[in-house]
Amino acid sequence: MAKVPIVLTINGERHEFLAEARKLLSDALREDCHLTGTHIGCEHGVCGACTVWIDGRPGRSCLTFAVQMQGHQVTTIEAIAQDGKLSALQQALHEEHGLQCGFCTPGIVMSCEAWLRDRPEPDEVAVRELLSGNLCRCTGYQNIVSAVLKAARQTRGA
Amino acid sequence: MRDSPLGKPLLRKEDFRFLTGTGRYLDDIEVPRALHAAFVRSPHAHARLHRIDLSRAKAAPGVVAVVGGADVNQWTAPLRMAPPIEGLQPVEVQTLPTEKVRFQGDPVVCIVAADRYLAEDAAELIEIEYEPLPAVASFAAALAPGAPLVDESLSSNLVSHQSFTAGDPARRFAEADRIVEARFSQRRQTHLPIETRGCLAVWDEGRQHLTYHNPNQAPHPLRSTLAARLGLGESQVTVIVPDIGGGFGQKIALYREELTVAALARHLKRPVRWREDRLENLLASSHAREDKARLRAAVTNAGTILALDLELTEDFGAYCFYPANYLARVVAMILTGAYKVKDYRFDVKVALTNKCGNGPMRAPMAITSWVIEGAIDKIARELSLDPIEVRRRNMLRANELPYVTATEQRLEDITPFETMERGLKTIDYAGFRARQAEARVAGRHLGLGVCVVVESTTYGSAFYKAAGIPGSGHEAAWVKVEPSGAVNASVGLMASGQGYETTFAQVVAATIGVDPAQVQLHIGNTDVAPYGMGSRGARGGTAGGSALHLAATEVKEKVLAIAAQLLNLNSPDQLHIEDGAIEWLSDGEWTRTELTLASIARTAYLDPLRLPGGMEPGLEAHRAYDPPPMTFSNATHLCEVEVTTATGTVRILRYVIAEDCGTVLNEMIVEGQQHGATALGIAGALYEALDYDNEGQLRNGTLADYLVPTACEIPNFEIIAMHTPNRRNPIGSKGMAEGGVMGAIGAIGNAVNAALAPLGIEATEQPFSPEYIRSLLR
Repeated sequence: MAKVPIVLTINGERHEFLAEARKLLSDALREDCHLTGTHIGCEHGVCGACTVWIDGRPGRSCLTFAVQMQGHQVTTIEAIAQDGKLSALQQALHEEHGLQCGFCTPGIVMSCEAWLRDRPEPDEVAVRELLSGNLCRCTGYQNIVSAVLKAARQTRGA
Repeated sequence: MRDSPLGKPLLRKEDFRFLTGTGRYLDDIEVPRALHAAFVRSPHAHARLHRIDLSRAKAAPGVVAVVGGADVNQWTAPLRMAPPIEGLQPVEVQTLPTEKVRFQGDPVVCIVAADRYLAEDAAELIEIEYEPLPAVASFAAALAPGAPLVDESLSSNLVSHQSFTAGDPARRFAEADRIVEARFSQRRQTHLPIETRGCLAVWDEGRQHLTYHNPNQAPHPLRSTLAARLGLGESQVTVIVPDIGGGFGQKIALYREELTVAALARHLKRPVRWREDRLENLLASSHAREDKARLRAAVTNAGTILALDLELTEDFGAYCFYPANYLARVVAMILTGAYKVKDYRFDVKVALTNKCGNGPMRAPMAITSWVIEGAIDKIARELSLDPIEVRRRNMLRANELPYVTATEQRLEDITPFETMERGLKTIDYAGFRARQAEARVAGRHLGLGVCVVVESTTYGSAFYKAAGIPGSGHEAAWVKVEPSGAVNASVGLMASGQGYETTFAQVVAATIGVDPAQVQLHIGNTDVAPYGMGSRGARGGTAGGSALHLAATEVKEKVLAIAAQLLNLNSPDQLHIEDGAIEWLSDGEWTRTELTLASIARTAYLDPLRLPGGMEPGLEAHRAYDPPPMTFSNATHLCEVEVTTATGTVRILRYVIAEDCGTVLNEMIVEGQQHGATALGIAGALYEALDYDNEGQLRNGTLADYLVPTACEIPNFEIIAMHTPNRRNPIGSKGMAEGGVMGAIGAIGNAVNAALAPLGIEATEQPFSPEYIRSLLR
């Protein structure tokens, strides 16, 4: 399959590369843009590890072709902490021990950060419902739920 | 230190990189010119291999090499699994099969291409002529007369069979008032780390050296196996383990795909990498469980257990990457748990079938606690006794320890009675009957399940020797104080989420007397770390923590000896280190001297003439620690459930864990491990089952079909810490992180049966899916 020129805007930066039109966004981010924070866990849209933002909304990068993303804004985990300072949610995940092996963590951060923007006062049931789109095999979820609720509280208080 | 960091819930050093996407997992390592491997796998559960035509694939765009067993088996030695264990048939596994395939997913051909897309394109062009053979897809089918042989070099599919008797169970069964029989079965599960398997092999032709990147829990044993099977010396292989995206026991063995990739890198003189996809991971990595147990108990009318008789079977799948008795036998050895039963018989059979091979998955002995605790509940039901009273009647108390079990396991410093009583109080066991009766009036079915867990955590080399399994239970560590006073340490374990960089820094820091922030762990590189046995079981804290503690103690003693010399003291007895400063005890008070760890380190490295006579320059120690044959920790899990009879669904209403795992290294991390282990137990108890049909075809090999629990299924856990030190361990540790799996399986098993008992129904097959519960209710 012939390679085509692809131009993407990721975390506000322009990336230009040649790739086959079938190349997944998840692979392009990692291999062509060298942004390896987005992880690949299932490549069929279930586990949520590859979640990024497409024009500010969470999407599965393993179910998206890179070529489709031309003209859109893609945001990855690398853009969440600002100048080495963790976001409220990242800090809460750290404080609540909401991660162990860390492989699912970028996807969880991307899913929850976007969700929290529109829901300043979530309850536990809603957080668990949201998190059902991201599989974690290490934590049993309890500390992730606590962290999301804590981040929401702190953002409200701030 | 006066304010020891040991046990403190220090936040993890690892977190920043994982939270910001700057962790470094296998696939994040970029190597120029690396080729990508893909495998062609058998669509049949059992088939003779005939013509394999690689020609079209070899001509495909971007393809560099296409190889089958005929090539790879010339470059690699087969795996020979033949420990001298009575009743265990020796087996040998080729790197890639040449005669026949044994399960759906068996790798047959490897393609190496410029990228993974092209490798997978070429895979479509491979033509393999299979002659399908009848498959055995269950333990029963494997042992049926005339069953096809999974491994034709064996005399039967019964790859392992062991029995054991202690005391005189036959006599006790004859004397018993009643014999209670209970059955338990678990379906096949898989580990499902969110990061699948993979490797990256880099061959240096000039140095004749292989650098092998692999997310493996046991780097040194992996190096030994890899070097031997490639025909390389152990100094020609470096195993580098990056951050691991979850292991749970799946990342211990050297898999055939991984060996093939290493051999190809050497053969092609090009870096080769492989990452399996999720479908391959579900179908063909490693499976676990699929144990079935029948326990018969000889009891008195008052509920005293006189003797136990266990029959256990395991469906092991098609290949042995571990000795086939390895997992099931531990169940039999520790079955009696917290109870005084000296008359005990077991019979353990393991069969090969045409399914993916089994391996140890977080709590290989997962079914144990359900079997004993479920049997006790059944005894209580049949005798119309309170199940807790039956436990109290038979359970070991503190004053009866140490206690040597029927299988000669030494139990000491465990507190099953204490954790049970505390758990019962917390969950209001006394008030449960009223809650249950009230709910019944409203048409709701509640059940409360209790599961007392005695978890075997840390195997010493004496256990391996006694079991006939090659290997050792020791662990090794080094600690170095560098000339600047920075502390580096290493251990032969490898983390896959346990936070070793934090907890082990706490152990070293507490031992020496510095801030844990100053201690850096260096793990996962076989040229740097000492040869250790790796992370498996629940041995990390107990074996690894102890080895680090011993090494740190030796370094500290050297520091204090140097300090005594520099201070003109006769002995270091009145000296210690507090937050990196040397302190001197005078008139009952510690006062700071002008010496610090850093100044002593400078002297040790750069001014050695000032050292005490005969002392070597430098400041480092290398120690190993071999634990006792077996270390146990304990817990009690209690959960209250509601079973909805109309739908067959089970909802967990409350979950309490009272645990004693000895001195903890980091309270927060221990709780995290308890959550994770218990969640994995719930996964097997209620949701997960790999569903093979009678022809050995996997019917639910995607994450859309294999039900991994999400945040909506896993409840909150209430944890009661009841840790008491282990007096036989240098740091008081007992180990933990698998017992949660055992406890959840048993507590849910018992809770659901407590809810169903008034309906005259007994659930014996996990997972307790809605379909299964409804099938019982019909």
